[in-house]
Amino acid sequence: MSDATALNLLLFLPVIGGALLLLLPERRPELVRGLSMLVLGAQLVLAAGLYFQFEAGVSGLQFETRIPWIAAWGVHYHIGLDGLNLLLVLLTAFLGPLVVAGAFTSITKDVKLFHGMVLFLQFTMLGTFLAQDLFLFYVFWEAMLIPMFLIIGIWGGERRIYATLKFFLYTAFGSILMLAAVVYLAFTVLSQDGTPSFAIADLYLLELAVPVQVLLLTGFALSFAIKVPMVPLHTWLPDAHVEAPTAGSVILAGVLLKMGTYGFLKLGFPLFPEAAQLATPLIMTLAVVSILYGAGLALVQDDIKKIIAYSSVSHLGYVMLGLVSYNLLGVQGAIIQMVSHGLVAGGLFLMVGMIYERCHSRDLGAYGGLAKLLPVYSVFFMLLTLAAIGLPATSGFTGEFLVLLGAFQGAWPLYEQGLVYPLALASAAVLGIVLGALYMLRLARRLLFGGARAPEPEGGALRDLSPREMGILAALIAAILYIGVLPNEFLQKTEQAVIEYQQRVVPERVGEGIR
Amino acid sequence: MTPEGLLLAALPEHLLLLGILAILVTDLVSSRPRDAFLPALLTLLAAGIAAVWLHGTGHSGTPFPGHFSVDTDAFAAKALLFGLAVPVLFLARDERHESRFAMLLLASLYGAGLLLSADSLLMVFFGLELLSLPLYALVVLGFRRPESAEAALKYLVLGGVGTAVLLMGLSLTLGATGGLTAADFRTALGGEDLLSRGAVVLVVTAFMLKAAIVPFHAWAPDAYEGASVPATAYMATVVKGAVLLALVRLFGEAGAGTDLLAVVVALALLSIVWGNLAAMRQEGFRRLIAYSSIAHAGYLFLALLGPAEARFETVAFYVIVYGLTNLLALACLPRGEDWLRDRLNNLKGLYHRDPRAAILIAVAMLSLAGIPPFPGFVAKFLVFRTVMESGLVAVAVAGLVASYLGIYLYLRVIRYMFMTPAEAHPRTGPTAGFGTAAALITLAAVLLVGVFPGVVLGWL
Repeated sequence: MSDATALNLLLFLPVIGGALLLLLPERRPELVRGLSMLVLGAQLVLAAGLYFQFEAGVSGLQFETRIPWIAAWGVHYHIGLDGLNLLLVLLTAFLGPLVVAGAFTSITKDVKLFHGMVLFLQFTMLGTFLAQDLFLFYVFWEAMLIPMFLIIGIWGGERRIYATLKFFLYTAFGSILMLAAVVYLAFTVLSQDGTPSFAIADLYLLELAVPVQVLLLTGFALSFAIKVPMVPLHTWLPDAHVEAPTAGSVILAGVLLKMGTYGFLKLGFPLFPEAAQLATPLIMTLAVVSILYGAGLALVQDDIKKIIAYSSVSHLGYVMLGLVSYNLLGVQGAIIQMVSHGLVAGGLFLMVGMIYERCHSRDLGAYGGLAKLLPVYSVFFMLLTLAAIGLPATSGFTGEFLVLLGAFQGAWPLYEQGLVYPLALASAAVLGIVLGALYMLRLARRLLFGGARAPEPEGGALRDLSPREMGILAALIAAILYIGVLPNEFLQKTEQAVIEYQQRVVPERVGEGIR
Repeated sequence: MTPEGLLLAALPEHLLLLGILAILVTDLVSSRPRDAFLPALLTLLAAGIAAVWLHGTGHSGTPFPGHFSVDTDAFAAKALLFGLAVPVLFLARDERHESRFAMLLLASLYGAGLLLSADSLLMVFFGLELLSLPLYALVVLGFRRPESAEAALKYLVLGGVGTAVLLMGLSLTLGATGGLTAADFRTALGGEDLLSRGAVVLVVTAFMLKAAIVPFHAWAPDAYEGASVPATAYMATVVKGAVLLALVRLFGEAGAGTDLLAVVVALALLSIVWGNLAAMRQEGFRRLIAYSSIAHAGYLFLALLGPAEARFETVAFYVIVYGLTNLLALACLPRGEDWLRDRLNNLKGLYHRDPRAAILIAVAMLSLAGIPPFPGFVAKFLVFRTVMESGLVAVAVAGLVASYLGIYLYLRVIRYMFMTPAEAHPRTGPTAGFGTAAALITLAAVLLVGVFPGVVLGWL
């Protein structure tokens, strides 16, 4: 099997799995779960294999496939791996089996449809990351809403319908404006090159007047910023997260939110470099506001899921800050922070799901002293808390440290030229780390320590984690520590692509700063 | 033109006529009422295959100069309309309409055939009437309910108004240009004098009435609601498609002048907004489809603003996709008493009663909403690309934003089917028999168009 075939198989495995799923009887949920695990497990193996074969320091796409799809419009089925999507593809494939394993006991209604939707989501998320054709990207980007709409709306909490409609309508509004920009780009390519094309690599070369760039970037950026989400477009997120079932929250926090930041990295900034530079102060400000505002809100919530939801707003603020630092380390830090947040927030949502499944409450006030009641649970929770705070040797540290380093490196020369603002913003972002420690430790203290109490579980005593649950969490912790201790390989494999990102957006700043 | 040429150029129409006569004669000689499903299906398939074949050979000609001519576009349009009528026939088989439904359907399609080959305004008039007259009967045929009669009457009166408006437009065209050919109409399109303008406005208004564009849309919800499901399906897909494709043909290479353009843009956008908003509040499935079809007529009129060479492809592709998805949704409606199956509340919890039907209706709804990966997205993309190509960037953006309003109404249907518990005693059963066959045919076509839109676009 050639490597390009392997990448196609990686993408289409969930489709094949979904087709097989249709043949299984509804009343045998264990078969449905087993098949989904098998498919997603195979996907992870393929993703890991491709990751190890991915060559660092090579420019352009690897494992590329390009087949005409709508020939008359220049639309291609065009996928490939590069340094920008490599880690995100790996993250998506890694979280897939964990999500299904985490839902073994919590999803008992419409099991077949649920797993079908998880597979559908996996397909569309990987497709979005792998797409190298703008049309294909948009198809996957928008299709992703459908399974998530159903997952929140069918298996969610009490206000699930409100939350899921809000999620869909919010994100679809951004997408509509992006679609307008995509149509305009398609039409511009035709008039500039004479041949229709949607290849993202071709679109990078377009020459667009600055006002046009600003308008188009607005269309793209609105869509991406809603997905990230950046304050003030974040209000759908707490509702969606709180009402979604655990699996939905994990995928939402773990992968879906990264679509927005990835969109900026892959499309938004490099397609419209001049407009991006004009918008940098605004985006930087919003990123820092997101960091602080998200952290501040997380500090005062009493719903455990809401705390983690707002912490996501804060953590993704760092990603945005790193992306607009246009500094090698800053952007690489942003990519690592995306992966790290996927693992940490995904893990935390899984853990909230586990306690909710036992006690049916997400109210922080209802719990206390779980360290005595559920010792194993508490150890894992503490480890994830520390990773969320960004303690050295965890992935959170690598990501946030690199982002801040990049932000300062980018801001310092401007400060020497007399511009104080960027430096002030970078300094304010540091404050976010302190706030992050505050809200996470508050959560851990009230949940794990103090007088032991928990809502009466249904049918008997409170059980500690099962081996299945321990396995899921151990895998997450292992990945978090691996990135925290040995980030080098990740950095090497992303470096070339990030330098190219710099070349496209800010050519004058390539090679700046320490490496 | 040689006799063979005459025979060949109008072969699809001849086949339809033959089928109608055969059914009529069998009906007369047979002692008991019989069902004409099979002969009608064979007739439709024969006519459709003939159109596809003539399209493939690139046949073109003018059997009746100045009135009736054929080219590849005309054959493509006929083939796609006849194709869309096939699932309608399957749906009708379930409703026990005896042979009359099939006969009227074929007669109406014969009108569509004439309309799509019309070279003169007289032929347009003739085609439109032949398309519509059987429809009034089809609506009232429904279920012998009072609503059906009322709906048919409303439709008839408004259809009559449309006819009168068209005839007035015709006479003004004659006065302004001295002729009634399509070329004369295009001359009038470019004219600046009052007479030409009046002629154009009246003719376009008649088409808007038939296509249910705001503010000429009021008949549609009542007519759709009063008709039986197959009749609704036929009106919403084939008839709407025929009217729009005929307008594309009538405009030909000519473009709308700036004044007409402004009117068309305004009314099309208004239709999209109002259709989508009003559809949100409907409690009946067919009324919902009616308002949604008003919005979709808006997109189709926007497509008319594009460059001449792109119009046919855009409208034809949109008609295919929009028609197929509507048919898919209507074919999957649960079976039961007519008023019951039409209620949106009856769809609550459908996923647990009939998962396949629920999933297929969901696919149709998402496609109508223009959400990828379903073909409705490609069709929507094509429309707005065409609009932008003619330089109307702001119109395209406004249309896209207006289309956003439609998303909620389709999500509402999905929400009912998947997220709401069923009402106490649902009295409708799962789809079966010919309804399922219709659903499968349309599903196969939807998948083909969805996965390989390039193939379909290449064929057009």
